[in-house]
Amino acid sequence: MSSVNDHPTGDPKIVLVGNPNVGKSVLFNALTGAYTTVSNYPGTSVEVSRGNCEIRGKRYQVLDTPGMYSLLPITEEERVAREILFTENAHAVIHVIDARNLERMLPMTLQLVEAGLPVILVVNIMDEAERIGMTIDCSLLQEKLGLPVIGAAMARKRGLKEIRDALADFDHRRRALFGYAVDLEQDILKVASTLHGTYPLDRRSLALLLLQKDEEVAEMVRQIEGERFAEVETAVKEVIFERRVDLHLRISLERKRVCKGLLDGVIAQLEGQGVPFSERLSAWTVNPWTGFPILLLVLYFGLYQFVGHFGAGTVVDLLEGKLFEKYLNPWAIALGQHYVPWVWLRELLVGEYGIFTLAVRYAVAIILPIVGTFFFAFSIIEDTGYFPRLAMLVDRIFKKIGLNGRAVIPMVLGFGCDTMATMVTRTLETVRERIIATVLLALAIPCSAQLGVILGLLSEVPGALTVWSLCVALIFLVIGFLAARIVPGERPMFYMEIPPLRLPQPRNVLIKTLTRMQWYFFEIVPLFLLASVLLWAGKLSGALNGLIELLRPAMLAMGLPPDTAAVFVLGFFRRDFGAAGLYDMQSAGTLNGVQLTVAAVTLTLFVPCVAQFLMMKKERGWAASLGIFVFVTSVAFGCGWLLNQGLLWSGVLS
Amino acid sequence: MKCGFCGREIPDRPAEDQERCGACPGGCRKVHCPYCGYANPVVPEFLKRFSRRKTDRDHEDEE
Repeated sequence: MSSVNDHPTGDPKIVLVGNPNVGKSVLFNALTGAYTTVSNYPGTSVEVSRGNCEIRGKRYQVLDTPGMYSLLPITEEERVAREILFTENAHAVIHVIDARNLERMLPMTLQLVEAGLPVILVVNIMDEAERIGMTIDCSLLQEKLGLPVIGAAMARKRGLKEIRDALADFDHRRRALFGYAVDLEQDILKVASTLHGTYPLDRRSLALLLLQKDEEVAEMVRQIEGERFAEVETAVKEVIFERRVDLHLRISLERKRVCKGLLDGVIAQLEGQGVPFSERLSAWTVNPWTGFPILLLVLYFGLYQFVGHFGAGTVVDLLEGKLFEKYLNPWAIALGQHYVPWVWLRELLVGEYGIFTLAVRYAVAIILPIVGTFFFAFSIIEDTGYFPRLAMLVDRIFKKIGLNGRAVIPMVLGFGCDTMATMVTRTLETVRERIIATVLLALAIPCSAQLGVILGLLSEVPGALTVWSLCVALIFLVIGFLAARIVPGERPMFYMEIPPLRLPQPRNVLIKTLTRMQWYFFEIVPLFLLASVLLWAGKLSGALNGLIELLRPAMLAMGLPPDTAAVFVLGFFRRDFGAAGLYDMQSAGTLNGVQLTVAAVTLTLFVPCVAQFLMMKKERGWAASLGIFVFVTSVAFGCGWLLNQGLLWSGVLS
Repeated sequence: MKCGFCGREIPDRPAEDQERCGACPGGCRKVHCPYCGYANPVVPEFLKRFSRRKTDRDHEDEE
């Protein structure tokens, strides 16, 4: 790491660090006034602001760093912020944190202190914290941390004088030491004792970063230690091998424990105001006794009522049943018959699988209103911060199926698009988790449009939606449970910081909904057009009939009309295309309640679409993806057959 | 912009080295959060001016 300073002055430096949006720049402006410079940090596109201030006649240079969440960097901004900390030899490092999120942000204070940096802690946005009934004892926190702690509300210049006084009187030779669990302390000592060179940060902090596989720090140690680096590397490898746990997670949890102790008695809620409702609601969402009823309410109102009834029912009826069926399609067909003399071209444009009569109608009249309402509901839920709480809620269940709460991310994304979600499985820690998540995505997670169409269709038949939900949930859990026992590999833990729960912001929801609808529309229209052309060519050449004939025995075995095979062929192009085909069959009255439910369950479980299959191949390779393809197809048709037998035998839905 | 899952501040454009799933014709319109991997939609240009409007409080708290 090189020391970079484009304002070489002899003035002592004050470096401002902290999470994004905690008021660092407001403090920077308050300290420095109008004369500041903003320049890209050398070799990067990250901007760093510099200015000067004078306190009690002494001049200081002030640096405002990009937001960072941890001393272990992930983004370029965090790398730059860390490099500034390591290279600028600061007189004082002001760590600015949000008073409302003290527990989330204090672990970074610990990291800065561990690194041997001269830290002053500014607890900002105190006014907002007080408004929601929080009181923070900064004196007690200062005593526990062994460094200056100043309560502030920078937007109102509150605490600025105290910060300036603290900077002038600052003596960073006093420093507290925070102890971790005995085994972790032994590991830190083992690695730290192998470091002999001169470093810009404390050996204890270096050891912790090396144990968390920080490549930049490892490279720095390699250069400084030279031949002795092999000893360091061996010590790190031994600890990682002996512990066999994710040390990053372990260290994060230890820091969390230390912070909890530090904050004991520091934060209080004013009497009469109690714990804010948002915090109580947040606690309810992750408690299994209250969390699952809340989840059911979200699914009932968000998906069933809004997407299923309103989107797939009311809006689709209006667009498809009235606008297209009564006006646009007859008009287009009449135009075609009048102006297009060639049968093949007329078929291509306005025939059974015509570009207008099938592709445009499916995309605009069936899929768009469904994904529109789905994305609206999804964006509201997302904007409240509910998803990370869902991850915590289902963590225990997911562990039974070989996953953990982190797998909620690809599962939730799968409801938008399974192809993209399959790619996101790479964020899961182990190969075992990635394989299980890929199988479950291919099998039991319908994409938004398919889900919407199915909800709309099945809500017309009493009991059908319950049977479908139970079947898909059961398959998800059973296959996951079996996969967890068959697929070998590690079982990692899950830990994440939960952002605050909040009311959804209408502007955010609108922007996210429109953005997702635009993305979806751009994605589906070309593919729908292509599928329509392929189906038209298949019909003309007879290949489609051949394929349908091939699937006929399977359809008959499941008690479905042979024509349903076309729906499954459509479903392979795109899942939602197949669901829309089912919608057409139901509208034509060719399916009874049992057949509709069997077809919906089978189609949901049926093979992933072409794009998802190609993504599976890319992520998991040919052998695994073909294996998953065959497995999923067999499970889908097997379940369809079993369900048909079960429903006929029991008389349910008959 | 803020990640829709973990709530952390992330770039509003996909990183140059971000891998794409390739499912969307015309290129990827997702920013994969570097912290949690969640796929966030990229706000199109015509909606940008709405997303740039912020409340006074946001400005005060902003870096």
